[in-house]
Amino acid sequence: MSEMLLDVRQARKRYEDGQIQALDGVDLTIAAGEFITISGPSGSGKSTLLHLLGGLDTPTSGDVLFRGRNIGTEIDLDSYRATHVGFIFQAFYLLPSLTAMENVQVPWLGGGDAPRGREETARDLLCELGLEQRLRQYPSQLSAGERQRVAIARSLANHPDILLADEPTGNLDSANTAKIMEILKGIQQRRGMTLIIVTHEDEIANSAPRHIRMRDGRIL
Amino acid sequence: MGIGAFVTLVGFSRSFEVGWEKLYEIAGTDIAVIQKTFMNSSVDQSAGATLNALPEIETAEPMVVNMMDITPEINALVYGWPDDAYEFAPLKIQQGRRFQDDAAEVMLGDLLSESLGKKAGDTLDLQGTTFQIVGVFHGGSALEAGAVIMPLGQMQRLSGMDGKVTAFHVRLKPAKPGESAEEHMHRAQAAIEKALPGLKAVPAMERASNNQLVVLAHAVAWGTSAIALLVAALGIANTMAMSVFERTREIGVLRALGWRRRRVMLLILMEAAGLGLVGGLVGLLVGWGGLQVLAAIPQTAGIVSGASGIAWGTMVEALGISILVGVVAGIAPAYRGARLSPVEAMRHE
Repeated sequence: MSEMLLDVRQARKRYEDGQIQALDGVDLTIAAGEFITISGPSGSGKSTLLHLLGGLDTPTSGDVLFRGRNIGTEIDLDSYRATHVGFIFQAFYLLPSLTAMENVQVPWLGGGDAPRGREETARDLLCELGLEQRLRQYPSQLSAGERQRVAIARSLANHPDILLADEPTGNLDSANTAKIMEILKGIQQRRGMTLIIVTHEDEIANSAPRHIRMRDGRIL
Repeated sequence: MGIGAFVTLVGFSRSFEVGWEKLYEIAGTDIAVIQKTFMNSSVDQSAGATLNALPEIETAEPMVVNMMDITPEINALVYGWPDDAYEFAPLKIQQGRRFQDDAAEVMLGDLLSESLGKKAGDTLDLQGTTFQIVGVFHGGSALEAGAVIMPLGQMQRLSGMDGKVTAFHVRLKPAKPGESAEEHMHRAQAAIEKALPGLKAVPAMERASNNQLVVLAHAVAWGTSAIALLVAALGIANTMAMSVFERTREIGVLRALGWRRRRVMLLILMEAAGLGLVGGLVGLLVGWGGLQVLAAIPQTAGIVSGASGIAWGTMVEALGISILVGVVAGIAPAYRGARLSPVEAMRHE
C-alpha cells in the first residue's frame, strides 16, 4: 500500500468575517503517487481545498497533515510550499520581465538552497517539455500552450512531492489542452508524483483514476 | 531633487570650509588663538605681546574678520590685518599697492573687484565710511578672491571692536630636532594656553573646520538638506507603495512558489535602495550643476570655488544617504508586501 501523503480532517474555511463558508467539514486522504481530479461548480470549494493542500492557506478549523505533520503548525508554510509543492495556475503567472529560463529558476531565489548548476537544471526541464527553442524567449513571445509548459517546468524546479494544478487548461484551446494533460500525466507517471488537478471540464475530471466531486464546500 | 539640494548645500558649505583651510595653509598659519567659547571670539589685542614673547612662537598676528554687506546683493568676508602681516606674502597684487597702516584704504580680492566692477583708485562705502580702494589682489583661496582686506584699526572701529581682535594667527618656530609635528603642535598649544588662561590655541586646520561661520554654514546646509531628503523619502515611499500595489499578484506568485516573507521584503527593499541610488546619481548631477551656478553668481562666487567641484567625500556621503533614504522609505511598503496572503495577492486585479 502507498504511503499516506496528505490527510485532511474536518477542514472548514470561512471568509469575510465568517459570512462565506467555503469549506464545510472536508475529510480527505491522499496517497503518495496518486493522480486525482477535483471538480464542482463555481463556489463549491475546490480551489479553496487546493489552497489548503498546497499550504497557500490554513483552515479556519480542522487539520491538514502532510506525512502526519500539521501544515502551518508543525511544518512552516513557506518551507512546505518551497520544498514539497509545485503549483500550476490557469493564468500561468509567469514574470513578464524574465525569460523562460529565468522564470524556471524563480523558486530557487526565494531563500532556499539553490542547486548547483541551476541553469543546466532549468534548461533540462524546459527541454523535457519540448521548449529547447524557447529558452531565451519572454512570456509575451510565447504561445499560451508554451507559457503553460514553462509554468509546469517552474513547478518542477524544486522536485516537489505534490503537483497542484488549478484549472491548468482553462486558458488553452483543445489541442493545447490535450498536450498539457499528456505532459502532466507523463510527469506524474515518470516521477511517481502526486498530481491533483482542479477542473470544471468533465473530460479532464474523468481522466484520473480518482475523481472527487464537490458542492457547497463538501465532498459528495 | 533632495540629493541635488544636499549636494549643492553641503558642497557649498564644504567649499567654504576648504576655502578657510587653504587660507591658513597658503599663509603658513599654524595656530589660531581664540576665546575658549569661540562663538563671536573677541580677544584683547594686548595678548599679542605675551604671545610674541613665547619661545615657541615666531610671530603672532592680530586679525579681525567678519561677514559684511558690501552692497545689498553682495556680501563678503572683510579682514582687518596689520600692514606688515605675514599673510600678505602669498597674495599677488594685480593692481595698485598694499594699504597703509590705519588709513581709510582697502584692498579687494580679484573676484570681488570683478563682481563690484571696481578697481584700484575707486572708492568703496562700508558701514557709512568711505574707503579708497588702493589695490586688487589674487589669493590662492576662493575666500580671499571674494574678500576685502583693510587696516586692522579701521576694521576694529568698523566692527566696534576697539582694542579687541577676533583671533591671533600664529606661526611657530621650527620643531626641535627629533620632535614630531604633532609633539611640536601640542607643546606650542600648551605653552600658549598656560601663558594666556581663558584663551584656546587651536591648530589652524581645526579652526578652519570649526570656526563659527563654517559651523553655521554646515548647520544650515544639513538642516535644509534634511527637509529636502524628507520630501525625497516621502516620494520614494509613495513610489514603492504604488509599485507593491501594482505588483501584488506577482508578490502572491512568489509567495506561492515558496518565497519567504523576509525574501520578499528584501526584494522590495533592494528595489527601494536601487531607486535611491539612481536618485542619488541624478542628484549628484543636479548638485554639481547647482554648485556651478553658485560659483558663477556674484553673491556666492567668493565662497564657492567652482573648479573644486564636488569632493569625493560629499559624493560618497550623498550616495550613502540616498540609498539609506531609499531603504528607510521602502520599509513600510516592503512590510506590507511581505505580509500579503498569497491567495489574496493572486486574486488581486
